[in-house]
Amino acid sequence: MNGLLLTTQQALQLLLYGDAELWSIVLLSFSVSLKAILLTTPFGLLLAFGLHHGNFPGIRFILAFFNSLLSVPTVVVGLFLYVLLTRQGPFGDLKLLFTQSAMVIGQMILCFPVLVALGYAAIQAADRRVWETSRTLGAPTWYTILTIFYEVRFGLLAAVLTGFGRVISEVGISMMVGGNIMGYTRNITTAIALETSKGEFAQGIALGLVLLSLSFLLTAFLSYIQSKKGVIT
Amino acid sequence: MSGPLFVFHGIEKTFAEDEILRKVDLSLYPAKCILLTGKNGSGKTTLLKIIAGLEKPEKAEIEISGKLHCWKKVMPIIRKEIIYLHQQAFLFSGTVESNVAYGLRFTSLTREQRRESLKKALERSGLTDLAKQQANTLSGGVQQRVAFTRAWILKPKVLLLDEPVSNMDQESREKACLLIQRMKSAGMSIVITSHVPQYFDGLADVQFDLVNGKLLQ
Ligand SMILES: Nc1ncnc2c1ncn2[C@@H]1O[C@H](COP(=O)(O)OP(=O)(O)OP(=O)(O)O)[C@@H](O)[C@H]1O
Ligand SMILES: [Mg+2]
Repeated sequence: MNGLLLTTQQALQLLLYGDAELWSIVLLSFSVSLKAILLTTPFGLLLAFGLHHGNFPGIRFILAFFNSLLSVPTVVVGLFLYVLLTRQGPFGDLKLLFTQSAMVIGQMILCFPVLVALGYAAIQAADRRVWETSRTLGAPTWYTILTIFYEVRFGLLAAVLTGFGRVISEVGISMMVGGNIMGYTRNITTAIALETSKGEFAQGIALGLVLLSLSFLLTAFLSYIQSKKGVIT
Repeated sequence: MSGPLFVFHGIEKTFAEDEILRKVDLSLYPAKCILLTGKNGSGKTTLLKIIAGLEKPEKAEIEISGKLHCWKKVMPIIRKEIIYLHQQAFLFSGTVESNVAYGLRFTSLTREQRRESLKKALERSGLTDLAKQQANTLSGGVQQRVAFTRAWILKPKVLLLDEPVSNMDQESREKACLLIQRMKSAGMSIVITSHVPQYFDGLADVQFDLVNGKLLQ
């Protein structure tokens, strides 16, 4: 018990005194995950829009497919990407395995279904009159799409934040295709796994606290958005 | 009398095997007002939306200055001339001013002209004092007025009004009718749907009843 108190104290000290190694790991995590979510958002939301406004058979099937991908295990995505990127694999020549790019790609695959499924739900909640009003006032299609996105911005933001929460906290992909290389591909989650296996709990707990605070913040913000959504639409 | 702006021929529309419109013809003349009546669910809204290009018909042709075109081909070109107003207006989130100005950015007006036009339109509709208000905090009647202004500012050739006064008290109704009269005098072609034709006695030039997918005079 004493030991746990002591390590927690050490962890807080690492955090508060700005331990360089620790904060560089945090920074790397955010950099990779922010890239992943920002690169995926336009495609995910546009597909969500297309699924809602498109009128072709099979839309239900595609939606069900993305919904089922919401809970895909991250190690499976990692494994899948590893097989593709490994030197003997089809994309081996790109030499992407154990790079940040590989982590970004993996996390993009992970958050894409979140953006499509939750984005679809948000867009579906938009009043049909938004589309009609915008069109009849002479707006071109792209402007109408932006108008609809703006009207349901809280729902879309919730989709993006949920996707971000999923990628920043995943460990399977980062471990398998990132490789946990210090200063290069080690992020919060893989560092926690490694430090713990070495019996060095202080840094692990410190990083865990960062992740926990982030998830609290995200959740608080999401419920704030949910309440906003209720007021506006 | 000048010739029609657009003549719609043979509009057909089916919803799930249900023939809502059967070969409907409708001519739109400048400075004329058509009153469209019909039972609930007879297809009035659907007809207006097809004319505005918001709903796809199974079949329809449009005659412009004596020439026939298929609906699909010319709708993208003429849709800018035709504005549809919902029975219950939808205002975008933002201020009254931003709502009224919404369509101006798609016109060829310069920034200066747009500002001038916005100012005039707000004055004309008595909305100047409300310009900075959030649109969704206003009462239903005022929202309807904002929607009117938002359409009027674009000077469309055709204005389609879906039950424009059904949710209004007598005073706002009379005001709205006056406004519609002014738009008509300004040369707009206007189509109004209503359950209560008496409201538009002095205003309508022709009245059609939509029965079983056909227009009866
Ligand atoms: N998107 C749709 N999908 C299926 N059916 C529809 C759709 N829109 C309208 N309908 C049906 O078409 C018929 C005509 O509807 P429409 O709204 O045009 O009637 P209306 O004359 O405007 O009625 P009201 O007087 O109640 O406004 C109705 O039976 C309605 O249920
Ligand atoms: Mg109707």
